[in-house]
Formats: sequence, structure tokens, C-alpha cells
Amino acid sequence: MEALDFHCQLIMDEYREALPMLESMQGQVMATLHEALDRSGLVVTAVESRIKTEESLAGKLALKGSKYAALSDITDVLGVRIVTFYTDDVDRIASMAEQLFEIDWQNSVDKRRLHQLDSFGYSSLHYICRIPGYDMRFELQLRTTLQHAWAAINHDTGYKSGVEIPREYMRRMNRLAGLLEMADDEFSRIRTEITDYRRRVQALVKSGKLDDVLLDGDTFRSYLQVGPLDALNKRIAAINQAEIQDAPLIRFLKVLKALKCNTLGDVDRLIHHYEDDAYRLARHQLGNTDLDIVSSAIGLQNICIVCILSTGGGKIGLERLFDAINGHNSQNNELAELTYQQASNLPFMQNK
Amino acid sequence: MTTTITESGNQLIAQFIGRLDTAAAVQTAEDVKPLMEAANREIILDCSRLEYISSSGLRIFLSVRKEAATHGSKVIVRDINADIRQVFMMTGFISLFEIQ
Repeated sequence: MEALDFHCQLIMDEYREALPMLESMQGQVMATLHEALDRSGLVVTAVESRIKTEESLAGKLALKGSKYAALSDITDVLGVRIVTFYTDDVDRIASMAEQLFEIDWQNSVDKRRLHQLDSFGYSSLHYICRIPGYDMRFELQLRTTLQHAWAAINHDTGYKSGVEIPREYMRRMNRLAGLLEMADDEFSRIRTEITDYRRRVQALVKSGKLDDVLLDGDTFRSYLQVGPLDALNKRIAAINQAEIQDAPLIRFLKVLKALKCNTLGDVDRLIHHYEDDAYRLARHQLGNTDLDIVSSAIGLQNICIVCILSTGGGKIGLERLFDAINGHNSQNNELAELTYQQASNLPFMQNK
Repeated sequence: MTTTITESGNQLIAQFIGRLDTAAAVQTAEDVKPLMEAANREIILDCSRLEYISSSGLRIFLSVRKEAATHGSKVIVRDINADIRQVFMMTGFISLFEIQ
């Protein structure tokens, strides 16, 4: 690198003196951003920052040092980058940054909007910001993970700008930029549609139109929020005045599907049809014990046991049930045998 | 009732010997405290020599599971006998633990 002129050397001196202040500003900016992100609940891929190295700053000054009167004119000595999953989140974090920092609008660029029809690249939103208590400005880059991947690979080609890159490679990078932009839009659309779907399902569950809702992981969770098993669990807990511990019920999804439940309506009918026998089974099992703690899975577990035995599933059906909720295990066979014996005296087994 | 805790690689293994009933629960709760503080470990509750478990014992297992989860650790219940497996089944606890 050629030697810097006197003017640029003065800026370099200024930089060395400013380093402790820059580090303090970096800490302050990062703490402010992390706190705001935690509060918002937004999940991002990365929040990273760097202070320009002496070598990098000298390189910049060697190229265009005359453009800057002082160090404070260089806006990216401290650079902060937030990488998001979704394009929508870039805009949400931009709004957040506008609340947190003073934005130098004259020097901030939304590079996403700069591209013409035939333009090259896939860029991010750059805000030049100032945080209270510091004179220096810093650059905040906001981009999606795909934009970040494109930019990183583009940087790796060694070309600093689109002008230098040979036309053939430029065209191919441009095609990829378009492809990734479409993928980003599609990811955002998918997220929006999934959110809408969950809202629709919740509304259907609340309105009781359960036959219109196909059974899947999302719909099952929404249904469980209504508490369809609460009454049965409380009845079972009352046998020994037991406390109820929350347990995840998602493992039963596979079992319910195997029991031919295709909609939430099917699940609801299954619960209502077998809940009394499920309670009797629990009373038969727990009544002679002093066990005063049960998990919230007990109601659904017993409903599945009763359904399997009532429909002729037998010990093999029970073993499959225990495999599904407890993982495959050689002892599940003994457990199935024992459960079968316990249930054999109950009314629902009398005709089996 | 005795409880011993040993380390093996990333695993913390608690072996329970005897009957984990209400009388033994206070001491056992004290004995398993090191498990509660372990972060990012695999915690094995070795029940191969555990003869009996009461509700108090289930509560101890549950508190280990809860604390372990907050510290990023995972709990596996290993080698329970048929009677204890039945207790886990009757209470719905087989949905709460990974049992091997």
C-alpha cells in the first residue's frame, strides 16, 4: 500500500486516539440493540459488529482520503450488522432502529430500492446512526440471511463493485440475486400464510367447527389450548387428590392418527366416547395406591388404551401405543400385558 | 436408600439403591442437588437397583427434569423394574420422561 499523505495520516492519528471511545460506543450500541430485540421477541440470525481495523481504514483513506475532512466524516468506522430470517423483519428492525438512534437520513441508503430493472446486486438497508452520548456516527446494515449469503459470496469473488466484474459472471450473479430475492419473498409469504392458517384454525376451534379442521401438529396444539381433557384429568386426579403436572401431548398425535382420527372433530368424539371408561381404568389402577401426582397426559393416555382395547387392538395395540409415547422398548411388551390384565375386569372389556 | 452420583464423559449418573419412599425422599432430594446445577449434560437416573418409588420420589425425578431443562441438560431414566414402570404408566409419567 502506498504511503498516506499528511492529511490522511492526521485522520489515522485521530482514529488511534478514538479507539477507546469507539469500543465504548460499540458496547453501548450492541447492548441497546440486544435489549430491544429481546423486548420485541424478534428472532434474528446474527447481530454482529466490528471496528474498522487500522489496515482497512488506511486502505480506504488511500483510495478516497481527500473526501474526508476528519475521522467523524467516515460513517462506517463502527459497523453493525443484523441478519434476519425474513425480509419483513428487516423493515421491523429498521423501525426499531429509528426509535433507538438518531438516523442521518441524508447518508442512509435503502439499497434494496436503488436497483433499476437491469441493475446488479442484492443489497441491504444501510442506516447511518448516532447514539446519544457519542459524536461519531456508525453504520447499521440490515439484511436477510439470503442477502447476507449473496453479499458474502459476491465479496469472496474479490470484485469490489459490479463495474469490475466480467459481464458473464455479473450476469450469473445477477440471476442468483433474482432467485434469492424470490426465495426471500416466498419465505415471508409462507410465514404470513402459516400465521393466517393458525389464526383460522383457532377461530374454527373456538367456534366448535371441529370437523372442518384436519388433524395435524398445529391444529392439535390449538385444540389442546381449549382444554378438552381438563375435566377428565381433574376427575382422575380427584381419585387420590393428586396434583397434575403438565406434560407434552404431541406424542399422541401419531397414536390418534393410527386410531383413524382425521379431523379435530374425530378427536373430540373419541374423547367424549371413551372418557368415562378412561376414568374407570384410572380409578381401577390408582384407587389402591397412594400415588398423589399424575401428569396431564393421563387422560388422553387412558382414552387411547380404552379405545384400542374396545376396538380389538389387544395387547399388540397397547404395545404400539407405549412405543409411540415412551419410545420403543422391550419392556413395553410387559407393560401392555399388565395393562391388558388390569383392564380385563372393567365393563368395556366384558364383551371382548 | 442410598444415592451415588458419578461422572462419565458428558454424563452425570445418579444411581438409586433401595426404596425411594416418603421417608427417604428428604435425604434423596438433598443428594440429587448436584444434578440440578449441571449444565448441558446428559443426566442418567440409574434405577437398576431401585426397588420402589412413591409420589415423593416421582416429585424428585420431576424436579431434576425441570431444573435440568432450564440448564440445557437432558434426563434419561434407565433400567426401571416392572413395578416402577407400572407406576410411571398409571400416573402418565411415561410421557414426561425418556425411559430406556
